[in-house]
Amino acid sequence: MAATKIDGKAFAAQVRGQISEHVQRLKDDHGITPGLAVILVGEDPASEVYVAAKHKQTVEVGMASFEHKLPADTSQEDLFALIDQLNADPTVHGILCQFPVPDHLNERDVVARIDPAKDVDGLSVVNAGLLASGETGLVSCTPLGCLMLLRDQLGNMSGKEAVVIGRSNLFGKPMGQLLLQENCTVTIAHSRTADLPAVCRRADILVAAVGRAEMVKGDWIKPGATVIDVGITRIPHPEKPGKSKLLGDVDYAEALDVASAVTPVPGGVGPMTIACLLANTLTACCRAHGLVEPEGLTA
Amino acid sequence: MSIDPKDPRLLRGAPVRQRILDDVQAYVAQHSNIGRIVSVSIGDIPEVGIYVRNQARVAEKVQLPFDQEYWGADVTQEECKARIQKMNDDPDVLGVILQRPVPDHINVRSLQSAIHPLKDLEGMNPASIGNIIYNDVALAPCTAAAAVELVRETGLNMEGLEVVMVGHSEIVGKPAAMMLMAEGATVTVCHHMTRSVAMHSRRADVVVVAVGKAHLIGADMIKPGAVVIDIGINQTDDGIVGDVDTASVIDTAGWVTPVPGGVGPVTVAILMRNATVAHQRQVAAGWLN
Repeated sequence: MAATKIDGKAFAAQVRGQISEHVQRLKDDHGITPGLAVILVGEDPASEVYVAAKHKQTVEVGMASFEHKLPADTSQEDLFALIDQLNADPTVHGILCQFPVPDHLNERDVVARIDPAKDVDGLSVVNAGLLASGETGLVSCTPLGCLMLLRDQLGNMSGKEAVVIGRSNLFGKPMGQLLLQENCTVTIAHSRTADLPAVCRRADILVAAVGRAEMVKGDWIKPGATVIDVGITRIPHPEKPGKSKLLGDVDYAEALDVASAVTPVPGGVGPMTIACLLANTLTACCRAHGLVEPEGLTA
Repeated sequence: MSIDPKDPRLLRGAPVRQRILDDVQAYVAQHSNIGRIVSVSIGDIPEVGIYVRNQARVAEKVQLPFDQEYWGADVTQEECKARIQKMNDDPDVLGVILQRPVPDHINVRSLQSAIHPLKDLEGMNPASIGNIIYNDVALAPCTAAAAVELVRETGLNMEGLEVVMVGHSEIVGKPAAMMLMAEGATVTVCHHMTRSVAMHSRRADVVVVAVGKAHLIGADMIKPGAVVIDIGINQTDDGIVGDVDTASVIDTAGWVTPVPGGVGPVTVAILMRNATVAHQRQVAAGWLN
Protein backbone atom coordinates (compact mmCIF):
# COMPACT_ATOMS: atom_id res chain seq x y z
CA MET A 1 0.00 0.00 0.00
CA ALA A 2 1.34 3.39 -0.91
CA ALA A 3 2.26 5.73 1.92
CA THR A 4 0.41 8.93 2.73
CA LYS A 5 1.97 12.05 1.25
CA ILE A 6 2.29 14.59 4.04
CA ASP A 7 1.09 17.84 2.52
CA GLY A 8 3.21 20.49 4.21
CA LYS A 9 1.86 23.23 2.01
CA ALA A 10 -1.73 22.65 3.13
CA PHE A 11 -0.71 22.18 6.76
CA ALA A 12 1.37 25.38 6.73
CA ALA A 13 -1.63 27.25 5.34
CA GLN A 14 -3.73 25.88 8.18
CA VAL A 15 -1.11 27.01 10.74
CA ARG A 16 -1.01 30.48 9.17
CA GLY A 17 -4.80 30.59 9.37
CA GLN A 18 -4.64 29.82 13.07
CA ILE A 19 -1.97 32.52 13.55
CA SER A 20 -4.00 35.02 11.59
CA GLU A 21 -7.07 34.44 13.80
CA HIS A 22 -4.99 34.87 16.92
CA VAL A 23 -3.41 38.07 15.61
CA GLN A 24 -6.87 39.46 14.92
CA ARG A 25 -7.93 38.67 18.50
CA LEU A 26 -4.80 40.41 19.86
CA LYS A 27 -5.71 43.49 17.84
CA ASP A 28 -9.39 43.44 18.82
CA ASP A 29 -9.01 42.61 22.50
CA HIS A 30 -5.72 44.27 23.41
CA GLY A 31 -4.84 46.69 20.60
CA ILE A 32 -1.58 44.79 20.05
CA THR A 33 -0.04 44.06 16.63
CA PRO A 34 2.78 41.49 16.64
CA GLY A 35 5.81 42.80 14.73
CA LEU A 36 8.64 40.99 12.96
CA ALA A 37 11.84 42.80 11.96
CA VAL A 38 14.01 41.24 9.25
CA ILE A 39 17.54 42.46 8.63
CA LEU A 40 19.24 41.78 5.30
CA VAL A 41 22.90 42.73 4.89
CA GLY A 42 24.15 42.84 1.29
CA GLU A 43 22.45 41.72 -1.90
CA ASP A 44 22.50 37.92 -2.00
CA PRO A 45 19.78 37.09 -4.57
CA ALA A 46 18.55 33.94 -2.79
CA SER A 47 18.32 35.84 0.50
CA GLU A 48 16.30 38.58 -1.16
CA VAL A 49 13.78 35.98 -2.34
CA TYR A 50 13.48 34.54 1.20
CA VAL A 51 13.13 37.95 2.79
CA ALA A 52 10.43 38.94 0.30
CA ALA A 53 8.53 35.70 1.02
CA LYS A 54 8.78 36.30 4.77
CA HIS A 55 7.56 39.88 4.37
CA LYS A 56 4.57 38.80 2.26
CA GLN A 57 3.44 36.10 4.70
CA THR A 58 4.00 38.32 7.74
CA VAL A 59 1.69 40.95 6.29
CA GLU A 60 -0.84 38.31 5.21
CA VAL A 61 -1.37 37.08 8.78
CA GLY A 62 -1.91 40.68 9.91
CA MET A 63 1.45 41.27 11.60
CA ALA A 64 3.66 44.31 11.18
CA SER A 65 6.71 43.66 9.01
CA PHE A 66 9.80 45.82 9.41
CA GLU A 67 12.43 45.36 6.72
CA HIS A 68 15.95 46.70 7.20
CA LYS A 69 18.14 46.40 4.14
CA LEU A 70 21.73 47.34 4.83
CA PRO A 71 24.63 47.67 2.35
CA ALA A 72 27.13 44.79 2.13
CA ASP A 73 29.89 46.87 3.72
CA THR A 74 27.88 47.65 6.88
CA SER A 75 30.19 47.54 9.90
CA GLN A 76 29.52 45.26 12.83
CA GLU A 77 29.14 48.38 14.96
CA ASP A 78 26.33 49.74 12.77
CA LEU A 79 24.59 46.36 12.56
CA PHE A 80 24.75 45.97 16.35
CA ALA A 81 23.40 49.50 16.79
CA LEU A 82 20.38 48.53 14.68
CA ILE A 83 19.89 45.27 16.62
CA ASP A 84 20.11 47.17 19.93
CA GLN A 85 17.49 49.60 18.69
CA LEU A 86 15.17 46.74 17.64
CA ASN A 87 15.78 44.95 20.97
CA ALA A 88 14.54 48.07 22.74
CA ASP A 89 11.58 48.69 20.40
CA PRO A 90 8.32 47.49 22.04
CA THR A 91 6.55 47.20 18.65
CA VAL A 92 9.10 44.59 17.52
CA HIS A 93 8.54 41.11 18.98
CA GLY A 94 10.75 39.10 16.67
CA ILE A 95 14.11 39.90 15.09
CA LEU A 96 15.73 37.87 12.36
CA CYS A 97 18.97 38.52 10.54
CA GLN A 98 18.96 36.73 7.20
CA PHE A 99 22.02 34.51 6.73
CA PRO A 100 24.52 34.29 5.17
CA VAL A 101 25.95 37.67 6.15
CA PRO A 102 29.07 39.09 4.42
CA ASP A 103 32.38 37.56 5.55
CA HIS A 104 33.46 40.45 7.77
CA LEU A 105 30.50 39.75 10.07
CA ASN A 106 30.34 36.77 12.45
CA GLU A 107 26.95 35.01 12.40
CA ARG A 108 27.25 33.73 15.94
CA ASP A 109 28.05 37.18 17.32
CA VAL A 110 25.14 38.64 15.37
CA VAL A 111 22.69 36.09 16.81
CA ALA A 112 24.13 36.61 20.30
CA ARG A 113 23.35 40.32 20.03
CA ILE A 114 19.62 39.69 19.55
CA ASP A 115 17.56 39.61 22.76
CA PRO A 116 16.87 35.85 23.31
CA ALA A 117 13.19 36.70 23.90
CA LYS A 118 13.07 38.17 20.36
CA ASP A 119 15.32 35.55 18.71
CA VAL A 120 12.50 34.04 16.63
CA ASP A 121 14.98 31.93 14.66
CA GLY A 122 15.79 30.24 17.99
CA LEU A 123 19.49 30.06 17.13
CA SER A 124 21.13 31.86 20.07
CA VAL A 125 23.09 29.78 22.59
CA VAL A 126 20.61 30.82 25.26
CA ASN A 127 17.64 29.43 23.31
CA ALA A 128 19.61 26.27 22.43
CA GLY A 129 20.35 25.85 26.14
CA LEU A 130 16.77 26.50 27.20
CA LEU A 131 15.55 23.84 24.77
CA ALA A 132 18.12 21.33 26.04
CA SER A 133 17.15 22.15 29.63
CA GLY A 134 13.46 21.63 28.88
CA GLU A 135 12.72 25.26 29.66
CA THR A 136 10.66 27.89 27.91
CA GLY A 137 12.48 29.53 25.03
CA LEU A 138 12.10 29.97 21.30
CA VAL A 139 12.65 26.91 19.10
CA SER A 140 14.41 27.01 15.75
CA CYS A 141 11.80 27.15 12.94
CA THR A 142 12.52 24.13 10.73
CA PRO A 143 12.68 21.56 13.59
CA LEU A 144 9.56 23.14 15.08
CA GLY A 145 7.84 22.73 11.71
CA CYS A 146 8.82 19.05 11.57
CA LEU A 147 7.53 18.54 15.10
CA MET A 148 4.16 20.05 14.14
CA LEU A 149 3.90 17.75 11.11
CA LEU A 150 4.79 14.72 13.24
CA ARG A 151 2.27 15.64 15.94
CA ASP A 152 -0.40 16.06 13.31
CA GLN A 153 0.50 12.71 11.75
CA LEU A 154 1.13 10.59 14.85
CA GLY A 155 -0.35 12.29 17.89
CA ASN A 156 1.43 10.75 20.88
CA MET A 157 5.05 9.82 20.03
CA SER A 158 6.01 8.44 23.43
CA GLY A 159 8.21 5.33 23.25
CA LYS A 160 8.75 5.52 19.50
CA GLU A 161 12.19 4.98 18.01
CA ALA A 162 13.33 8.20 16.33
CA VAL A 163 16.43 8.61 14.19
CA VAL A 164 17.65 12.00 13.03
CA ILE A 165 20.30 11.95 10.28
CA GLY A 166 22.52 15.03 10.55
CA ARG A 167 23.88 16.74 13.67
CA SER A 168 23.86 20.41 12.64
CA ASN A 169 23.28 23.18 15.17
CA LEU A 170 20.59 24.58 12.93
CA PHE A 171 18.54 21.42 12.65
CA GLY A 172 19.76 18.00 13.82
CA LYS A 173 20.51 18.90 17.41
CA PRO A 174 17.32 20.86 18.17
CA MET A 175 15.27 18.19 16.34
CA GLY A 176 16.82 15.52 18.56
CA GLN A 177 15.97 17.55 21.66
CA LEU A 178 12.37 18.03 20.54
CA LEU A 179 11.90 14.32 19.92
CA LEU A 180 13.37 13.56 23.36
CA GLN A 181 10.83 15.94 24.86
CA GLU A 182 8.14 13.89 23.14
CA ASN A 183 9.62 10.86 24.97
CA CYS A 184 10.96 9.19 21.85
CA THR A 185 14.11 7.10 22.12
CA VAL A 186 16.39 9.27 20.00
CA THR A 187 19.47 8.46 17.93
CA ILE A 188 21.31 11.23 16.12
CA ALA A 189 23.21 9.69 13.22
CA HIS A 190 25.75 11.54 11.10
CA SER A 191 28.68 11.27 8.70
CA ARG A 192 30.75 9.24 11.19
CA THR A 193 28.00 6.71 11.90
CA ALA A 194 29.27 3.21 11.21
CA ASP A 195 26.22 1.54 9.64
CA LEU A 196 23.75 4.24 8.69
CA PRO A 197 21.22 2.02 6.86
CA ALA A 198 20.98 -0.30 9.89
CA VAL A 199 20.44 2.65 12.24
CA CYS A 200 17.73 4.06 9.97
CA ARG A 201 15.92 0.72 9.74
CA ARG A 202 15.21 0.85 13.50
CA ALA A 203 13.30 4.10 13.18
CA ASP A 204 9.55 4.52 13.61
CA ILE A 205 10.25 8.18 12.90
CA LEU A 206 13.03 8.95 10.44
CA VAL A 207 14.11 12.56 9.92
CA ALA A 208 16.74 13.17 7.24
CA ALA A 209 18.67 16.45 7.10
CA VAL A 210 22.03 16.06 5.39
CA GLY A 211 21.63 17.59 1.95
CA ARG A 212 22.55 14.51 -0.12
CA ALA A 213 20.04 13.86 -2.85
CA GLU A 214 18.06 10.62 -2.48
CA MET A 215 20.57 9.11 -0.07
CA VAL A 216 17.90 7.30 1.98
CA LYS A 217 16.72 4.33 -0.05
CA GLY A 218 13.59 2.25 0.38
CA ASP A 219 15.47 -0.56 2.12
CA TRP A 220 16.77 1.91 4.76
CA ILE A 221 13.22 2.47 5.93
CA LYS A 222 11.32 0.37 8.45
CA PRO A 223 7.95 -0.71 7.04
CA GLY A 224 5.27 1.63 8.34
CA ALA A 225 7.68 4.37 9.43
CA THR A 226 6.94 8.09 9.22
CA VAL A 227 9.61 9.80 7.13
CA ILE A 228 10.37 13.53 7.28
CA ASP A 229 12.68 14.85 4.57
CA VAL A 230 14.42 18.12 5.37
CA GLY A 231 17.12 17.96 2.68
CA ILE A 232 16.99 20.14 -0.41
CA THR A 233 19.37 19.63 -3.33
CA ARG A 234 18.93 21.49 -6.60
CA ILE A 235 19.87 19.55 -9.73
CA PRO A 236 19.52 20.32 -13.46
CA HIS A 237 16.11 19.10 -14.61
CA PRO A 238 16.49 15.73 -16.39
CA GLU A 239 13.86 16.51 -19.04
CA LYS A 240 13.64 20.29 -19.27
CA PRO A 241 16.97 21.83 -20.35
CA GLY A 242 17.83 25.04 -18.51
CA LYS A 243 15.39 24.24 -15.70
CA SER A 244 16.25 22.85 -12.29
CA LYS A 245 14.59 20.36 -10.01
CA LEU A 246 14.58 19.96 -6.21
CA LEU A 247 15.42 16.65 -4.59
CA GLY A 248 15.22 15.63 -0.94
CA ASP A 249 17.52 13.35 1.08
CA VAL A 250 15.00 10.52 0.67
CA ASP A 251 14.31 8.53 -2.47
CA TYR A 252 10.67 9.55 -2.44
CA ALA A 253 9.36 6.98 -4.93
CA GLU A 254 10.99 4.11 -3.03
CA ALA A 255 9.91 5.48 0.35
CA LEU A 256 6.28 5.57 -0.76
CA ASP A 257 6.31 1.77 -1.06
CA VAL A 258 7.66 1.14 2.45
CA ALA A 259 6.74 3.98 4.79
CA SER A 260 3.30 4.85 6.14
CA ALA A 261 3.77 8.58 5.56
CA VAL A 262 6.41 10.68 3.78
CA THR A 263 6.97 14.39 3.21
CA PRO A 264 7.62 15.29 -0.42
CA VAL A 265 10.30 17.73 -1.60
CA PRO A 266 9.21 20.37 -2.42
CA GLY A 267 5.93 20.88 -0.58
CA GLY A 268 6.72 19.06 2.66
CA VAL A 269 8.84 20.63 5.38
CA GLY A 270 9.77 23.74 3.37
CA PRO A 271 6.50 25.65 3.68
CA MET A 272 6.45 25.01 7.44
CA THR A 273 9.58 27.07 8.12
CA ILE A 274 8.09 30.51 7.50
CA ALA A 275 4.84 29.46 9.19
CA CYS A 276 6.90 28.62 12.28
CA LEU A 277 8.74 31.94 12.09
CA LEU A 278 5.36 33.64 12.29
CA ALA A 279 4.30 31.25 15.08
CA ASN A 280 7.43 32.18 17.07
CA THR A 281 6.78 35.89 16.53
CA LEU A 282 3.24 35.48 17.83
CA THR A 283 4.47 33.44 20.81
CA ALA A 284 7.16 36.04 21.59
CA CYS A 285 4.54 38.81 21.37
CA CYS A 286 2.18 37.04 23.78
CA ARG A 287 5.03 36.46 26.24
CA ALA A 288 6.19 40.09 26.00
CA HIS A 289 2.69 41.21 26.98
CA GLY A 290 2.13 38.53 29.61
CA LEU A 291 -0.75 37.05 27.60
CA VAL A 292 -1.67 33.38 27.17
CA GLU A 293 0.25 31.75 24.32
CA PRO A 294 -1.69 30.16 21.48
CA GLU A 295 -1.83 26.38 21.73
CA GLY A 296 0.03 24.01 19.42
CA LEU A 297 2.34 26.65 17.96
CA THR A 298 5.41 25.93 20.03
CA ALA A 299 7.27 22.97 21.53
CA MET B 1 30.62 -11.41 45.16
CA SER B 2 33.46 -9.04 45.70
CA ILE B 3 35.79 -7.66 43.03
CA ASP B 4 39.51 -7.27 43.44
CA PRO B 5 39.99 -3.48 43.49
CA LYS B 6 43.05 -3.96 41.29
CA ASP B 7 41.09 -5.85 38.61
CA PRO B 8 42.31 -4.28 35.34
CA ARG B 9 38.79 -4.31 33.92
CA LEU B 10 37.80 -1.68 36.48
CA LEU B 11 38.00 1.79 34.99
CA ARG B 12 38.98 3.65 38.13
CA GLY B 13 38.59 7.38 38.57
CA ALA B 14 41.66 7.98 40.74
CA PRO B 15 44.35 8.11 38.02
CA VAL B 16 42.20 10.32 35.79
CA ARG B 17 41.46 12.62 38.69
CA GLN B 18 45.14 12.84 39.58
CA ARG B 19 46.14 13.75 36.05
CA ILE B 20 43.53 16.51 35.81
CA LEU B 21 44.45 17.88 39.23
CA ASP B 22 48.16 17.93 38.33
CA ASP B 23 47.33 20.08 35.31
CA VAL B 24 45.15 22.37 37.42
CA GLN B 25 47.84 22.74 40.06
CA ALA B 26 50.42 23.63 37.42
CA TYR B 27 48.07 26.24 35.99
CA VAL B 28 47.34 27.77 39.37
CA ALA B 29 51.05 27.91 40.18
CA GLN B 30 51.57 30.05 37.08
CA HIS B 31 48.65 32.36 37.84
CA SER B 32 49.07 33.53 41.41
CA ASN B 33 46.27 36.12 41.20
CA ILE B 34 43.66 33.66 39.94
CA GLY B 35 40.97 34.81 42.38
CA ARG B 36 38.77 32.62 44.52
CA ILE B 37 36.03 30.09 44.05
CA VAL B 38 32.92 30.90 46.05
CA SER B 39 30.73 28.02 47.18
CA VAL B 40 27.22 29.05 48.16
CA SER B 41 25.10 26.81 50.39
CA ILE B 42 21.59 27.96 51.22
CA GLY B 43 19.86 26.72 54.39
CA ASP B 44 21.17 23.99 56.62
CA ILE B 45 21.05 20.85 54.48
CA PRO B 46 23.32 18.12 55.90
CA GLU B 47 24.25 16.32 52.65
CA VAL B 48 25.37 19.62 51.13
CA GLY B 49 28.00 19.90 53.86
CA ILE B 50 29.65 16.68 52.64
CA TYR B 51 29.97 17.96 49.05
CA VAL B 52 31.37 21.30 50.16
CA ARG B 53 33.98 19.80 52.47
CA ASN B 54 35.07 17.46 49.68
CA GLN B 55 35.36 20.30 47.16
CA ALA B 56 37.20 22.50 49.67
CA ARG B 57 39.71 19.72 50.36
CA VAL B 58 40.44 19.20 46.65
CA ALA B 59 40.68 22.97 46.04
CA GLU B 60 43.20 23.25 48.85
CA LYS B 61 45.26 20.46 47.30
CA VAL B 62 45.61 22.38 44.02
CA GLN B 63 45.93 25.69 45.89
CA LEU B 64 42.80 27.28 44.51
CA PRO B 65 41.36 29.72 47.08
CA PHE B 66 37.92 28.37 48.09
CA ASP B 67 35.41 30.43 50.09
CA GLN B 68 32.50 28.73 51.78
CA GLU B 69 29.47 30.94 52.14
CA TYR B 70 26.45 29.73 54.11
CA TRP B 71 23.29 31.72 53.60
CA GLY B 72 20.47 31.33 56.11
CA ALA B 73 17.37 29.29 55.26
CA ASP B 74 15.27 32.48 55.44
CA VAL B 75 17.20 34.38 52.75
CA THR B 76 14.91 35.57 49.92
CA GLN B 77 15.25 34.80 46.22
CA GLU B 78 15.86 38.49 45.48
CA GLU B 79 18.59 38.73 48.09
CA CYS B 80 20.30 35.62 46.66
CA LYS B 81 20.16 37.08 43.19
CA ALA B 82 21.57 40.39 44.35
CA ARG B 83 24.47 38.64 46.09
CA ILE B 84 25.23 36.55 42.99
CA GLN B 85 25.20 39.66 40.84
CA LYS B 86 27.70 41.23 43.19
CA MET B 87 29.96 38.21 42.71
CA ASN B 88 29.59 38.52 38.93
CA ASP B 89 30.97 42.05 39.22
CA ASP B 90 33.73 41.21 41.71
CA PRO B 91 37.01 40.63 39.81
CA ASP B 92 38.37 38.66 42.76
CA VAL B 93 35.62 36.02 42.41
CA LEU B 94 36.87 33.48 39.87
CA GLY B 95 33.71 31.44 39.84
CA VAL B 96 30.59 30.49 41.74
CA ILE B 97 29.31 27.07 42.81
CA LEU B 98 25.67 26.96 43.87
CA GLN B 99 25.28 23.87 46.06
CA ARG B 100 22.09 21.83 45.74
CA PRO B 101 19.56 21.08 47.08
CA VAL B 102 18.28 24.46 48.21
CA PRO B 103 15.26 25.27 50.43
CA ASP B 104 11.84 25.00 48.75
CA HIS B 105 11.21 28.74 48.48
CA ILE B 106 14.34 29.23 46.36
CA ASN B 107 14.11 28.84 42.58
CA VAL B 108 17.43 27.19 41.88
CA ARG B 109 17.13 27.41 38.07
CA SER B 110 16.66 31.15 38.20
CA LEU B 111 19.74 31.54 40.42
CA GLN B 112 21.83 29.32 38.15
CA SER B 113 20.83 31.56 35.26
CA ALA B 114 21.95 34.58 37.28
CA ILE B 115 25.53 33.32 37.49
CA HIS B 116 27.51 34.85 34.63
CA PRO B 117 28.42 32.17 32.03
CA LEU B 118 32.13 32.99 32.46
CA LYS B 119 31.85 32.33 36.21
CA ASP B 120 29.55 29.33 35.88
CA LEU B 121 31.91 26.58 37.11
CA GLU B 122 29.15 23.96 37.09
CA GLY B 123 28.04 24.69 33.52
CA MET B 124 24.39 25.10 34.51
CA ASN B 125 23.45 28.48 33.01
CA PRO B 126 21.27 28.04 29.87
CA ALA B 127 23.97 29.83 27.88
CA SER B 128 26.54 27.29 29.16
CA ILE B 129 24.27 24.40 28.15
CA GLY B 130 23.73 26.07 24.77
CA ASN B 131 27.50 26.24 24.29
CA ILE B 132 27.68 22.49 24.87
CA ILE B 133 25.01 21.94 22.23
CA TYR B 134 27.04 24.07 19.84
CA ASN B 135 30.20 21.97 20.46
CA ASP B 136 31.93 24.48 22.72
CA VAL B 137 32.40 21.93 25.49
CA ALA B 138 35.13 23.48 27.67
CA LEU B 139 32.85 24.62 30.52
CA ALA B 140 30.63 21.57 30.79
CA PRO B 141 28.49 20.19 33.61
CA CYS B 142 31.01 18.29 35.75
CA THR B 143 29.43 14.84 35.90
CA ALA B 144 28.81 14.69 32.17
CA ALA B 145 32.37 15.83 31.48
CA ALA B 146 33.71 13.23 33.92
CA ALA B 147 31.87 10.48 32.06
CA VAL B 148 33.40 11.62 28.75
CA GLU B 149 36.85 11.79 30.34
CA LEU B 150 36.55 8.18 31.51
CA VAL B 151 35.50 6.99 28.05
CA ARG B 152 38.53 8.82 26.67
CA GLU B 153 40.70 7.02 29.25
CA THR B 154 40.02 3.66 27.54
CA GLY B 155 41.96 4.90 24.51
CA LEU B 156 39.16 3.97 22.13
CA ASN B 157 38.68 6.21 19.12
CA MET B 158 35.29 7.83 19.70
CA GLU B 159 34.57 8.49 16.03
CA GLY B 160 31.82 6.17 14.87
CA LEU B 161 31.48 4.51 18.27
CA GLU B 162 27.94 3.39 19.14
CA VAL B 163 27.06 5.05 22.44
CA VAL B 164 23.89 4.39 24.38
CA MET B 165 23.03 6.90 27.07
CA VAL B 166 20.52 5.55 29.58
CA GLY B 167 18.81 8.50 31.26
CA HIS B 168 17.96 11.87 29.75
CA SER B 169 18.30 14.26 32.66
CA GLU B 170 19.12 17.90 31.95
CA ILE B 171 22.24 17.90 34.14
CA VAL B 172 23.85 14.61 33.12
CA GLY B 173 22.25 12.58 30.33
CA LYS B 174 21.60 15.24 27.72
CA PRO B 175 24.91 17.12 28.05
CA ALA B 176 26.89 13.84 28.12
CA ALA B 177 25.07 12.72 24.96
CA MET B 178 25.88 16.00 23.21
CA MET B 179 29.52 15.89 24.26
CA LEU B 180 30.00 12.31 23.05
CA MET B 181 28.32 13.23 19.78
CA ALA B 182 30.72 16.16 19.41
CA GLU B 183 33.52 13.55 19.66
CA GLY B 184 32.04 11.73 16.66
CA ALA B 185 30.06 8.99 18.39
CA THR B 186 26.61 7.90 17.21
CA VAL B 187 24.55 8.49 20.33
CA THR B 188 21.18 7.02 21.26
CA VAL B 189 19.40 8.44 24.30
CA CYS B 190 17.14 5.99 26.19
CA HIS B 191 14.90 6.78 29.15
CA HIS B 192 11.89 5.62 31.15
CA MET B 193 9.66 5.52 28.05
CA THR B 194 12.09 3.49 25.92
CA ARG B 195 10.44 0.22 24.93
CA SER B 196 13.54 -1.92 25.34
CA VAL B 197 16.67 -0.43 26.85
CA ALA B 198 18.37 -3.84 26.50
CA MET B 199 17.83 -3.84 22.74
CA HIS B 200 19.91 -0.66 22.58
CA SER B 201 22.45 -1.32 25.32
CA ARG B 202 23.32 -4.76 23.88
CA ARG B 203 24.54 -3.27 20.61
CA ALA B 204 26.47 -0.42 22.24
CA ASP B 205 30.24 -0.02 22.29
CA VAL B 206 29.77 2.38 25.20
CA VAL B 207 26.90 2.39 27.71
CA VAL B 208 26.59 5.40 30.01
CA VAL B 209 24.02 4.99 32.77
CA ALA B 210 22.51 7.78 34.87
CA VAL B 211 19.07 6.88 36.13
CA GLY B 212 19.40 6.31 39.88
CA LYS B 213 18.13 2.71 39.96
CA ALA B 214 20.39 0.31 41.83
CA HIS B 215 21.78 -2.47 39.63
CA LEU B 216 19.48 -1.73 36.68
CA ILE B 217 22.11 -2.85 34.17
CA GLY B 218 23.25 -6.47 34.34
CA ALA B 219 25.59 -8.57 32.22
CA ASP B 220 22.77 -9.66 29.87
CA MET B 221 22.35 -6.05 28.76
CA ILE B 222 25.97 -5.52 27.74
CA LYS B 223 27.84 -6.37 24.56
CA PRO B 224 31.06 -8.29 25.23
CA GLY B 225 33.98 -5.89 25.45
CA ALA B 226 31.88 -2.76 25.87
CA VAL B 227 32.75 0.26 28.02
CA VAL B 228 30.29 0.75 30.87
CA ILE B 229 30.22 4.11 32.65
CA ASP B 230 28.12 4.10 35.82
CA ILE B 231 26.98 7.52 37.02
CA GLY B 232 24.35 6.27 39.49
CA ILE B 233 24.78 6.62 43.23
CA ASN B 234 22.21 4.63 45.21
CA GLN B 235 22.05 4.17 48.94
CA THR B 236 21.09 0.56 49.69
CA ASP B 237 21.28 -1.85 52.63
CA ASP B 238 24.57 -3.05 51.14
CA GLY B 239 26.00 0.46 51.11
CA ILE B 240 26.44 2.74 48.11
CA VAL B 241 25.96 1.01 44.76
CA GLY B 242 25.68 2.24 41.17
CA ASP B 243 23.07 1.74 38.45
CA VAL B 244 25.20 -1.12 37.12
CA ASP B 245 25.58 -4.54 38.71
CA THR B 246 29.36 -4.25 38.57
CA ALA B 247 30.12 -7.74 39.82
CA SER B 248 28.00 -9.31 37.09
CA VAL B 249 28.96 -6.92 34.27
CA ILE B 250 32.71 -7.13 34.84
CA ASP B 251 32.98 -10.55 33.17
CA THR B 252 31.27 -9.29 30.01
CA ALA B 253 32.38 -5.69 29.67
CA GLY B 254 35.80 -4.56 28.55
CA TRP B 255 35.80 -1.76 31.11
CA VAL B 256 33.41 -0.82 33.90
CA THR B 257 33.65 2.12 36.31
CA PRO B 258 33.26 1.14 39.97
CA VAL B 259 30.86 2.90 42.36
CA PRO B 260 32.22 4.44 44.47
CA GLY B 261 35.60 5.28 42.97
CA GLY B 262 34.70 5.76 39.31
CA VAL B 263 32.94 8.86 38.00
CA GLY B 264 32.62 10.59 41.39
CA PRO B 265 36.29 11.38 42.02
CA VAL B 266 36.70 12.69 38.46
CA THR B 267 33.69 15.02 38.84
CA VAL B 268 35.37 17.14 41.50
CA ALA B 269 38.56 17.33 39.44
CA ILE B 270 36.53 18.61 36.48
CA LEU B 271 35.05 21.31 38.72
CA MET B 272 38.59 22.50 39.46
CA ARG B 273 39.52 22.30 35.80
CA ASN B 274 36.45 24.39 34.96
CA ALA B 275 37.83 27.03 37.33
CA THR B 276 41.01 27.27 35.24
CA VAL B 277 38.98 27.36 32.01
CA ALA B 278 36.84 30.15 33.47
CA HIS B 279 40.04 32.05 34.28
CA GLN B 280 41.33 31.66 30.72
CA ARG B 281 38.01 32.88 29.31
CA GLN B 282 37.85 35.85 31.66
CA VAL B 283 41.37 36.83 30.58
CA ALA B 284 40.40 36.40 26.92
CA ALA B 285 37.31 38.55 27.49
CA GLY B 286 39.52 41.33 28.86
CA TRP B 287 38.14 41.07 32.40
CA LEU B 288 41.51 40.33 33.96
CA ASN B 289 45.12 41.12 33.21
